[in-house]
Amino acid sequence: MMSTNSSIRVAVTGLGIITAIGESLSEFEEGLFKGECGIGPVSLFDTTGFACQFAAQVKNKNLETGFAPRETKRISRCDFLGLIALREALADSGLLLESCDRNRIGVVLGGGAGGMRSWEQYRRTAWSGETRPKPSLLLPFACCTLTDLIAGQYGLTGSRATISTACSSSATSIGYGFDLIRSGDQDLVITGGSEALSELTFAGFNSIRAMDPEYCRPFDKNRRGLSLGEGAAILILENYTGAESRGAKIYAEVLGYSINCDAYHMTSPDPEAMGMSRVMTAALARAGVRAEQIDYINAHGTATPINDSLETLAIKRTFGESLAGDLAVSSTKSMVGHCLGAAGGIEAVATILALYRQTVPPTIHLVATDPDCDLDYVPNKSRKQEIRAALSNSFAFGGNNTSVVFGRTNQNI
Amino acid sequence: MSDIAITGIGVISSMGIGREAFWETCKKAGTGIKKVTDFETSSFASNVAGWIDDFEPRDYMPPRIYRRMSRISRMAVSSSVEALNNSELDLKGLDKTRIAVILGTAYGSSSRVEDFFVSLLRDGPRGAQPFLFPETVPNAPASHIAMFHGITGPNSTFCQNDISAENAMLYARNLLLGNIVDVVLVGGADELSPMQYHCYNDLGVLNKIKINNHEPADPEPGGGLILGEGAGTLVMERLDFAVKREAKIYGILKTGILAGGATPMGHYEAGGEQMGRAMTMAMEQAGLGPAEIDQISVSANLSAELDRMEYHQLKIIFKNRIKALAVTPLKYLMGDFGGAGIIRAAAVLLSLYHQLSLPALKAEALKPEPHGVLKWDIPSKSKIQTALMTTSTFGGGSSSLVFTCK
Repeated sequence: MMSTNSSIRVAVTGLGIITAIGESLSEFEEGLFKGECGIGPVSLFDTTGFACQFAAQVKNKNLETGFAPRETKRISRCDFLGLIALREALADSGLLLESCDRNRIGVVLGGGAGGMRSWEQYRRTAWSGETRPKPSLLLPFACCTLTDLIAGQYGLTGSRATISTACSSSATSIGYGFDLIRSGDQDLVITGGSEALSELTFAGFNSIRAMDPEYCRPFDKNRRGLSLGEGAAILILENYTGAESRGAKIYAEVLGYSINCDAYHMTSPDPEAMGMSRVMTAALARAGVRAEQIDYINAHGTATPINDSLETLAIKRTFGESLAGDLAVSSTKSMVGHCLGAAGGIEAVATILALYRQTVPPTIHLVATDPDCDLDYVPNKSRKQEIRAALSNSFAFGGNNTSVVFGRTNQNI
Repeated sequence: MSDIAITGIGVISSMGIGREAFWETCKKAGTGIKKVTDFETSSFASNVAGWIDDFEPRDYMPPRIYRRMSRISRMAVSSSVEALNNSELDLKGLDKTRIAVILGTAYGSSSRVEDFFVSLLRDGPRGAQPFLFPETVPNAPASHIAMFHGITGPNSTFCQNDISAENAMLYARNLLLGNIVDVVLVGGADELSPMQYHCYNDLGVLNKIKINNHEPADPEPGGGLILGEGAGTLVMERLDFAVKREAKIYGILKTGILAGGATPMGHYEAGGEQMGRAMTMAMEQAGLGPAEIDQISVSANLSAELDRMEYHQLKIIFKNRIKALAVTPLKYLMGDFGGAGIIRAAAVLLSLYHQLSLPALKAEALKPEPHGVLKWDIPSKSKIQTALMTTSTFGGGSSSLVFTCK
């Protein structure tokens, strides 16, 4: 959230993504606009005994395909997902890293549970007492491992940071990447995030009864909670002028962002939705965008009874009843689940694709109208419409709120 | 205006609970490293840590507030209470949307991760303890700080191993320079847990030192790191804001650089080229040459890779001065943890404020070879205008910060 005085603009020039509805950008885009549901029974670990046994799990059982053995040694599922998305994003950007000043390329990612799945295997083996667990399973535990792997594998020696604010981690990382380019510290930043399903988070959200036993139904009257998901999204952010001069494809422009805190409760949002509203208002102000210029909001939309009604209230507070009614608002978590540390990144890609294709992705599983959720949530079918600018919301445990504003470019089709 | 003033300090550390107790121990090179008695270590290669055995959260907040907090959150909130009191900021008179809380931690509450997962292993899905789960996220301490003080401005948590707190300081600096906020509580925190100790032991990175109760620890240079824990908070303001309210100023954060090199997982950057680049750039941006640096706080932690690399880079940068160069490896005294950067910065700032150099070793003591008992130079009053704080972490990240007197 650096000074808005900078004249440096920030372009998004490469995207890479892997989720339960698509394991490449093209597959994801197809699933996103078709309204595919990636939520189903979990096969990654035993879910017997849990009230909810569903999640949006990445289907590919051979994530290591395409990597040399030395690249995949000791890395976690979370790292695999992240590296797959990274490769696609770099290829998509058309960048030749060899010709870039790598001291001016930063890596700023959002992390959630990181290599928790590897640690769980270590801990479960130790708990059984049958064999000695492999210490190497501990190496990728820290959520910054992917950041270090990316920087290390590509020799990127610029700023390096990992933000871990639960569900808003990778949204904030995009914001920090934006800052680093706006301030002139970096020319290019690799940002986004990765998250793998883990027993700990699965058991955790089950234990606090935040999960729908089937699939999540954001903004629906009968919603019963969230569905967890996994995946990764990587965005290549670049100095706009530099991107133009190298003839890069520019998907969208990052216009600004804001972060704040409810300072209310660890797991419940402020019941007046003031934090959510303030963060959207501040993001618009810092982006220099008027409320009436926003056409689409990719909502946090977890499908918990409390989040969706409060997010609706917050949107009305920010935009006013009339403008709010004109907005297209959708929750892509209805398709890819809640990907926690990667959620902000994945939803940023969905928002950018919405701008790039001038098409609003739908909220699926939305059938019954809730009087507390009375905006246009684009139910079940995507919609072609003009989108000049869009907002992506991420509201996390601990009251950590983030809103990022993206704008269309003249390259949109 | 690019100067950032530090106007409040709070410290919960193995070298002392509270800023003053910490400084008293620090200035005479007292150690916080002692035998771990809080959990069983008999099967491990080491039995020492820079752990805290005399911390009472009720000295800082009522029990109803901290009852469900993890150890790291209790320490982090407590250090924020001390730092805010020390700054004499009147929060009631300030716009709390223009105050930020930014924290660095390597792992957050590793004990809550362990406890929650064990409750799942032991009691099955229906026995997993819901009250343990919310504290497993690394951003819990920063959120507790915000909730305790009612601070609704920017809030974020950085997890980048041993440069987590340095990342937090630089993001905080950006918030202030961008005029997004007027004040930042910037913190660093980590807790020592049996799980973390167990994992580090299994990875073979602990200093193989075993002592009896109350026996002084005499770690082997280059023999491996000693884990630590603690929390620190600095109150940071733009200098003009601090001057306007006539605040006491401990020192100025002049510049800071983040960089990183390539390294295999779990290792430090071989050679430390990027660490050296970060040091050089931080000094250049502060308009200082190596000869103008009065004191150096290094990140050496008794592991051969890091200490050798840091010595190598100091030798390149400080050239002929290397033989006489004095450096302060505070982790030799308080152990190593991801949020340690704030406590190391607190030591530097207290040193600048009191015009008393930090206790130091000759840089050559960082070389991972037998030295005998480390001989700390305990300085008397001295004139210090500038300090360089350099940090490198396993995974390859590096940072350098330059602090000056007001």
